[in-house]
Amino acid sequence: MKLIAGVDIGNSTTEVCVGSVGEDGSFHFLASASRFTTGTKGTLPNIHGIKGALEDAMYSIRQPLSALDLVRLNEAAPVIGDTAMETITETIITESSMIGHNPSTPAGAGEAVGYLLFLENIWKGKPGVPYIVVASSKFSYEETAARLNQHIPELDIRGVILQADEAVLVENRLNKRIPIIDEVRHISRIPEDKLAAIEVALPGTSIRMLSNPYGIATLLGLNAEETRMVTPIAKSLIGKRSAVVIRTPNGNVRENILPAGEVFFHGEREERVNIDAGADEIMDALRNAGEIRDIDGQKNTNVGNMFERIKTSMADVAQSQDHDVRITDILAVDTLAPVEISGSLAGETCMEKAVGIAAMVKTQHLPMQKIAEKLEEELHVKAVVAGVEAVMASLGAMTTPGTQLPLAILDMGGGSTDAAVLEPDGSVRTTHQAGAGELVSMLIQTELGLESRAEAEQIKKYPMGKVESLFHMRLENGSMRFFEESIDPRYYGHVVLLAKNEMLRIEEDIPMEKILEVRREAKRKVFVRNAIRALTYVAPDHDLRKIPNVVLVGGSAEDFEIPEMLTEALAEFRIVCGRGNIRGTEGPRNAVATGLLLSYLSERQGA
Amino acid sequence: MVVNRPTIIIYTREADEDLLREICAGIEEEGVLYEIHSREGNLDELAYEAAKESMLGSGIGVTGQRAAMQMARLPMGKNVFELNAPRFWQCRNLGSNSARAVKKMPFKPVYGQEETR
Repeated sequence: MKLIAGVDIGNSTTEVCVGSVGEDGSFHFLASASRFTTGTKGTLPNIHGIKGALEDAMYSIRQPLSALDLVRLNEAAPVIGDTAMETITETIITESSMIGHNPSTPAGAGEAVGYLLFLENIWKGKPGVPYIVVASSKFSYEETAARLNQHIPELDIRGVILQADEAVLVENRLNKRIPIIDEVRHISRIPEDKLAAIEVALPGTSIRMLSNPYGIATLLGLNAEETRMVTPIAKSLIGKRSAVVIRTPNGNVRENILPAGEVFFHGEREERVNIDAGADEIMDALRNAGEIRDIDGQKNTNVGNMFERIKTSMADVAQSQDHDVRITDILAVDTLAPVEISGSLAGETCMEKAVGIAAMVKTQHLPMQKIAEKLEEELHVKAVVAGVEAVMASLGAMTTPGTQLPLAILDMGGGSTDAAVLEPDGSVRTTHQAGAGELVSMLIQTELGLESRAEAEQIKKYPMGKVESLFHMRLENGSMRFFEESIDPRYYGHVVLLAKNEMLRIEEDIPMEKILEVRREAKRKVFVRNAIRALTYVAPDHDLRKIPNVVLVGGSAEDFEIPEMLTEALAEFRIVCGRGNIRGTEGPRNAVATGLLLSYLSERQGA
Repeated sequence: MVVNRPTIIIYTREADEDLLREICAGIEEEGVLYEIHSREGNLDELAYEAAKESMLGSGIGVTGQRAAMQMARLPMGKNVFELNAPRFWQCRNLGSNSARAVKKMPFKPVYGQEETR
């Protein structure tokens, strides 16, 4: 009896599968395992991940690594996915300041205009001049209120800006009803003596004057030109519960539109498209160009730099010369990205139109042979490179119950979406397309303005709920879930992700509905579009209807909603489409590794 | 006793006045009403009874330098937050949280270091 392992190195995970082959040719699958791919796919650092995964698999059947007789690696397609994001226009505001935020408890309501005056300098105030008083947190609410009350008879105090979260406390002790904004962290950045307008929205509404360019013009007395310039500020304040806009003497707002640039497609036909045109036009141009040799962008523009960056980083890992690295496919997606406004005092951003791009980079050859040699050296087990990825995936997918030839597979991984059609005569047509799980994570991260990519990954992976009391939460589909034991108070009132055995709290204060919308839209934009694109390419005569059944495999097929989205979208073309179930037990993972073992059998039988 | 106003109830026994004032400030800033009564009992009992009798289901117990926040229907002794000789900001946030429990908003941090951003 021989122990054989199949190893599939993907962009994100490394999958292994171990089986035994008896002398009589009988065959049993024994174990499988999965680890994160270490390093870029197809490079020597992968060894570490491969070893880890093999150890996991062998451990589960209580055998040492040395018991293996043969390791079969897939001939990974020399394509590496990468993603990038570029805003189309960049708005820069200089020498004008604003604070827009959502303190949970501002006080008073309405708007006020006045000159900024620090509380410690309140004695310098002159009668008859409208003031907005700024108080840092070194003053307690009692002190602030007392000082203001003392000066209210003689000074014209129109509004207050506080650093501490004490607006209601101050308001309750003040002899005059005025709008009070609190929780302004960077209060030291506020310039004194400048004219400022503040606004606190009525409960349940958002601000109306400062989110309207004409409103700002009315309050600060701006002319037509200045009003045009202040528009980005108004735009970024939409939906806030309170805001401050400060007019600085050289109140200069400069709108700087960087050249977005053009994308050049070098294919059967030369095509060019301005990135301004949006994702749909870009994808149309890509289609018109036919078979793509390379893609690049206009020099010294946003998009040009972006392609440059992708190519150089890929050339580094593939250790080949620049000219060997070619971009053979891109997926462009319209999105919104937060752009920081330089006049903001608290790091406010405004959402600008952007294009997210995933690129497929083709190098001449991945050093798989080197990996095999190195693996052999470290494990003292024979290792060979065998079989083309797509063929192996098709073989593995065939083990899903209820499938028949011709069979199409859609391998949705982290970096790329691959499709293949396996015909009854054994011929295979394949394609590799840019754009998969990682692009979805990037879209989620930018559109929700999240700090970390890891959090975006988790949002992509798990369903959500909102903890409404210590004993129940409302799930994203509207149903309720009750708990015997009280929920940890840290989760109270938060949106949480329901991972397998734990809850993950989302730090940012974003409504569950918004997260849900962004998550679903990102998945739809990437996967539905790519599935149709890839399947059309491999379908007989490029006619989707000629594919009878599609098996979804790869990491992203494990997602809790992507397969359903695709099943729905493809039902239109009368295609049976669903999540694969490799060997009837493995789910959509492990297709390639399984295929590698199966192909060993057929090779032996052939021999 | 009969409670007929929507308030957070604070039961105290020989409470530290400064801590109590900060707790109340926290509740006031959130715009919720509260009432304070002096009572006999240990910290767990005070907090538990306060939450039980509050129409809003949120209560606080304060004994000397110790404070605990409790919500209705949680078992006695299983306080949501409990502080021993706390700093002022901790008391303020404890008060805020008793109000936020009513408003179904996320709690502010009560333990650890004060945020100094």
